[in-house]
Amino acid sequence: MKFQTHTGLKKWVNLLNTSVVLIVLFVALPLYWLIASSFKTNVGIGASPPQYFPDPLSIANYQSAFVHYDFGIYFRNSLIVAIAATFLVLAIGSLAGYALARLPIRGKTAIMVILLMISLFPEIAVVSPLYLVMHNLGWIDSYQVLIIPYTAFNLPFAIWIMRNYFLGIPREMEESARVDGASPLRTYWSIILPQALPGIFTAGIFTFTACWTEFLMALTFDNSNSFRTIPVGIALFGSPNVIPYGTIFAASVVAVVPIGILVFVFRRFVVSGLTSGAVKG
Amino acid sequence: MEPKKRVRTSNRVRLLAVVVASSSIVLAACGSSSTAKSSSTSPSGSATSGTITWWASPIAQVGIRQTLINAFEKAYPKIHVNLVSAPTNTGTNRSQVVAQISGGSTTPDVFMGDVIWPAQFGAHGLAVPLSNYLPSSYWAKFAPGLVAGAEYKGKVYGSPLFEDQGFLYYRKDLLAKAHLPVPKTWEQLKQESLTLVHDHLVKYGFVWQGNSYEGLTCDFMEYLTSAGGKVTNAAYTKAYLDSPQAIQAVSFMRSLITSGASPAAVTTMEEPQAMATFDAGDAAFLRNWDYAWANSQTPSDSKVVGKVGVAPLPTFSGHSYPGYSTIGGWNLYINPHSKHIATDLTFIKWMSSVQAQTILGKKYSEIPTVESVRKAIAAQASAPPPEKVAAVTRLIARPAGTPNYPALSTAIYTNINAALNGSTSVKSALASAESQANTALSGGL
Amino acid sequence: MTRSMLENATANETPPPTPDQQVTGHRRRTTRIGWVFSSPALVIVALVTIFPIAFSVVLSLANVTVTGNGFQLAGFTFSNYSEIFHASVWRYALVFTVFYTVVTVAVEVILGTLIGLVLERLTKGRGLMMALLLVPWSMITVISAELWQYIFDGTYGVMQAIFSAIGLGQPQFLGTPTSAIISMMVADIWKTTPFVAIIVVAGLVMLPQEVFEAAAVDGAGSWTTFWRVTLPLLRPTIALAILFRILQAFGIFDLPFVLTGGGPGTATTSLAVLSYRTMFQNLNYGAGNAIAVSASVLVLIGCLLFLKVFRAQVSDA
Repeated sequence: MKFQTHTGLKKWVNLLNTSVVLIVLFVALPLYWLIASSFKTNVGIGASPPQYFPDPLSIANYQSAFVHYDFGIYFRNSLIVAIAATFLVLAIGSLAGYALARLPIRGKTAIMVILLMISLFPEIAVVSPLYLVMHNLGWIDSYQVLIIPYTAFNLPFAIWIMRNYFLGIPREMEESARVDGASPLRTYWSIILPQALPGIFTAGIFTFTACWTEFLMALTFDNSNSFRTIPVGIALFGSPNVIPYGTIFAASVVAVVPIGILVFVFRRFVVSGLTSGAVKG
Repeated sequence: MEPKKRVRTSNRVRLLAVVVASSSIVLAACGSSSTAKSSSTSPSGSATSGTITWWASPIAQVGIRQTLINAFEKAYPKIHVNLVSAPTNTGTNRSQVVAQISGGSTTPDVFMGDVIWPAQFGAHGLAVPLSNYLPSSYWAKFAPGLVAGAEYKGKVYGSPLFEDQGFLYYRKDLLAKAHLPVPKTWEQLKQESLTLVHDHLVKYGFVWQGNSYEGLTCDFMEYLTSAGGKVTNAAYTKAYLDSPQAIQAVSFMRSLITSGASPAAVTTMEEPQAMATFDAGDAAFLRNWDYAWANSQTPSDSKVVGKVGVAPLPTFSGHSYPGYSTIGGWNLYINPHSKHIATDLTFIKWMSSVQAQTILGKKYSEIPTVESVRKAIAAQASAPPPEKVAAVTRLIARPAGTPNYPALSTAIYTNINAALNGSTSVKSALASAESQANTALSGGL
Repeated sequence: MTRSMLENATANETPPPTPDQQVTGHRRRTTRIGWVFSSPALVIVALVTIFPIAFSVVLSLANVTVTGNGFQLAGFTFSNYSEIFHASVWRYALVFTVFYTVVTVAVEVILGTLIGLVLERLTKGRGLMMALLLVPWSMITVISAELWQYIFDGTYGVMQAIFSAIGLGQPQFLGTPTSAIISMMVADIWKTTPFVAIIVVAGLVMLPQEVFEAAAVDGAGSWTTFWRVTLPLLRPTIALAILFRILQAFGIFDLPFVLTGGGPGTATTSLAVLSYRTMFQNLNYGAGNAIAVSASVLVLIGCLLFLKVFRAQVSDA
């Protein structure tokens, strides 16, 4: 705390540093194992005692992912599907979240509960009927066959979470905008949205990762290699009796890169809250 | 907002269309379409042009599927085959095939499916009865037992593509060092494992597939059959899992772990884990399928290249050698909605031709399903050892003649796995397996 | 939330009472704008989800056979439900799923909130930490399950090597029911705690500054500020995180499906795994959908109960 005595501050900083180290270890050690194993040979993977450092260091798994399997195509498809769905979810979900937080709509409670019910229904139960719908629309083997369901199934959570953050924005700012004669859309765009960026970023990152990792629909609705996404592609690695851990890990190391870039590029939205004021609680 | 409103209306109209269309699928009576097709299509399947889609999961070695397709397209230049790679997990593979066919999809035309699928797919109308099109002379060329395994209610649904079975892989170098023979009984296998482990010649004795999954049913069948037991009666109405033979089989499997002949980890092992342990040089014996030979002889995968022998699985002492190997492998099936059944048949027939079967058996060391090819390859000195051994083994099929086989197998492997890891006694695990198996046979959960 | 949030929203619907005609006109206009704003989202959700969910409910109430020509329905029946309620595998899966949900959500929310608080305090490297935290969460579940399967392997797993190096023997992490359940929880906590942490960070960042300044002026210590100011303000955010974690945990599928295959025995067979097996493996769509639908009803009841309890706490504070 800024306002603490010097001794208190010191203690706190130490506690903070210790916690950061612990968190990093907890998160990073399994990731180290993932990355290290992706550079092992098949013999190295099965070695006992395990190789704490790959010996020999091999990039064969990475080559195999891109050469033997069409990982490049899967990667492109995942990007297209996840970016499109995230964009749609944020565009229409933030409007809805704002309306459900602030604008007078009848039956808000009912709408929120229904959205909750939709997001809790198990995916395995909806995938077969949804296949019938998509098949009849002629959408099987396309991008929209994933973009539209991903948008729909991620909207409830995104609306809930963005609405939560909209509710936290002080009402006075809108009031004064309204007094100045700004339209609701303008108020939303220039007053609310900038304030809510951390919340929108959170919703966006969760939507993106959900689309990026979704397996069952992607597997069922796209059977052509030119539309398959990363999770499906990885399920085609190996053969029924062989799990190529190394290749799978290599692919997943590559698959995580865009998420890291995304967070890094947009991190100022998360950091912005901090720079605008003092440290809290 | 204007365009959005328009979109909304048109979507609503489309949704209505979809609901109507799909509900008509839902309500459509089943069973008529395949018979209608059978009368309109040339039964010999002599079509020589067109494009078909083949759904197949990767086979052990990279490139097999494409090599076969290339050879086929060379023989039939006017037919084009589109390969769709299926998920490697067999359960996931099945769910995808079912979703597509029950959803009315006309693709894939031909799909490669597990040998345990025919009853379920036949009962649910998810595969074309091939025996309606292909004469008994076609089926006569396959090795004994394979066609029977692809039958349900007197019709054959799958054309055997390649066969697989359990083998005993052993470390020649270790047995030589300890002056031990290749084991012919399960008891001997256990004893030799203990000797090798106690003499610190190797870390673990015998590794196999003991996890709670389909592979455990396969392994269990081998012990059960060599003990003289059966899972069900011939009519698939009654399970016999609480039998003395089953108790002998599972008690023995459990004793492998308690004695230290097998590591405790076998209760979590599937093929990849058992294979990796053997390849690392940490196990003296391995029960695995045909692919394990090539795998153990690949220097990038294995430290035991040149040190491995292959034998038939042992039997219980007092029973005749060799023991039994569970049948695995893959068949070709046709989607009932396929628009090119004649072309599909051309493809399937070619896949069981001498040329295709020789590619599979010689180039990729899969076990051919056609008896003459299998014998010809096994007779050659250069034949892969598993194919030579396969010529002298005895086979046992899993009790997959019932459409409820998946539930039956779940009742078997979940309970036996619980007995193997010691969380229940063998006796109570088998009693519970029998009652769950009986529920499964009657179509229950 | 959430109940408090909902009420908050309901309260917002009523503007300060005024007889002014202009205000009524304004209100009507904003109501219409409210619908215009929310309808694209609501319409797309409805179009995509209502038919499949209704279809699943119908299948759970019918004698259904899947055939090459779609689903054949023969009459209305409750037999699917009575079948699953009488099956010991279903009862076990239910108990396991509830237990698993309660434990993992509790651990993840406490841990995630703590991590969120630590992260929010960081003046340097927060973006980097966020990126690091997101890696487990953004990993394909099937792959993280394979990673943990590899870590927990009984012969060449690194965890076993570590345990035996520090003299704890050669545990079979996935080999006995208790240890397999704990191992699965560890894998889940590793992957999902960041989800909670990130929601909490965003909530913290958006808290109004003035309150903290006021607390500081009043001379409140950091613990007092945390318990009296931060936590109450954060409550809706934490409630939201809990709510959605309950939903995700109750539907847990990929992790047991790959890590343990539902074993050893049936020790880690969750309701979703059981439903998947029943539907896609046994092709028993009636019972499979009955499991899915009843699980949804149960988790909905759980969520509503949670909201009620949480609201009680809010009014106590």
